Amino acid sequence: MSESLNSAPPSVMHIDLNSCFATIEQQARPRLRGRPVAVVNRQSENTMIVTASYEAKAMGVTLGMRLKEARKICPELIGVESDPPKYRYVYRELLRIMNSYSAHVRMKSIDEGVIDFSETTSKIRDMGLEAIGQEIKHRLRNEVGRAMRCNVGIATNRFLAKTAAGLNKPDGLDVLTSQNIRKIFSTLELTDLTGIAAQTEKRLNSVGIYSPLEFLDASEETLRKVVFKSVCGTQWHRRLRGWEVDKRDFPLKSAGRQYVLEEYKMPLDKVLQRLHNLCESVGEKVRSQGLVARGVRVHARSYQHRGSGWRGGYWHKSHMASVPFFSNQAIYGIARGILLEAPFPLKEIGVTCYELSEPDDSQLHLFGDEIFREKAITSAVDEINSRYGVRSIHSADTLNTGAVKQKIPFGSTRYL
Amino acid sequence: MDDNSRLNERVYVLATFGENLNICVPRRFKRASGREVEVSEVGLRHPTLKGRRMVHVFDVTDGGTDYRLEFDAERLTWHLTWEGDGE
Repeated sequence: MSESLNSAPPSVMHIDLNSCFATIEQQARPRLRGRPVAVVNRQSENTMIVTASYEAKAMGVTLGMRLKEARKICPELIGVESDPPKYRYVYRELLRIMNSYSAHVRMKSIDEGVIDFSETTSKIRDMGLEAIGQEIKHRLRNEVGRAMRCNVGIATNRFLAKTAAGLNKPDGLDVLTSQNIRKIFSTLELTDLTGIAAQTEKRLNSVGIYSPLEFLDASEETLRKVVFKSVCGTQWHRRLRGWEVDKRDFPLKSAGRQYVLEEYKMPLDKVLQRLHNLCESVGEKVRSQGLVARGVRVHARSYQHRGSGWRGGYWHKSHMASVPFFSNQAIYGIARGILLEAPFPLKEIGVTCYELSEPDDSQLHLFGDEIFREKAITSAVDEINSRYGVRSIHSADTLNTGAVKQKIPFGSTRYL
Repeated sequence: MDDNSRLNERVYVLATFGENLNICVPRRFKRASGREVEVSEVGLRHPTLKGRRMVHVFDVTDGGTDYRLEFDAERLTWHLTWEGDGE
């Protein structure tokens, strides 16, 4: 099965805020504009850079670099602590602007989203997608702030629209069609394509595919049977040709949080306090979606590098309960038992609840009264925290762990 | 934001109310010490919830120092909550 390029008029627009958090900080504090800025989650030299401004990127500063290392190559780098409420506001403003053009808007993360114009009104379509893209840029500057910039990509499917949005950063607007796809692909590397990282690149290289053009020319059979050995090959074949295969919503399967411990070789009691804090936060996430969980997974990074059943400093263990649970205490009870088996001393801890589902209240429980009481207390605490602010009520042993700061939610936009 | 520069100082604010981006613009404020600060630019205004209480946060500058002003929409009070020299 070989499909031709999709030659329909482009109807998908991808919008990506440029160096989102750093740009928002430069918007909020005019004196940071034009200067190298790095957004970090904590004001410490060992903290990792979450976002760098274009001025910092031009000096060689990259995401994930430690602030201390970045300052060696860019001494004038300004480290700014992240301020999630500000980023959530800009996210909501961008969403509001995008929603004014189509009912089919999907935010992919806090700083990027997709508008599908295929079912929009003729009045909007007649404006032309390029004109709409320019208008969105203009509105972002006028309605949020004049330092705000975004990249716009237009194509026939989500994948090519995202590829187009990455072509001319910052502040670009590009249209990728069946007419110019070969020319544009000839300027890209395989890893420039979203979804192609080092491992997939190796697999493609093993069958003689070294460039996006060769990837585009590969047959569906080669991709399905030899490279991906699954239906993913067929999907890539269609995706590269501009046919939509990514218009899907995924149900929430897990909710978690992690935390880098702020002290070297932190003692067990302090680690448990931070674990408790994380469990409260994860429990709140699960309940905010109206779900219950059945599994808890705890992971840790250890200062030890190898042990029985784990290596490379990374350790994890899970527990699946026989009945669903939802309260912070239930999550902490399980997570605590798991963490006690971890290879101390630890650098980082994380908790994830999985096997999420909607609560099934139809079944009668032997301990129905206790479950009812637990639900009532948990809802009352959630209600108080919602009215008076996060962590107005929390477990006593996390009193002095206020430092377990909520990081910026990069992936899912469910909690924004 | 550096914790060392965090404040909770009640301030007197002169603000104007207009349209679009300029719905509410703090123009000048007077600190507890009596010093007056002329706002040269509002960088970003964003609303945020403190519990169910709506607070409007204004990141402003006088050209030499950056400030954060918070307007409590329930209590109708202004507080200076942060100042920094842009470093």
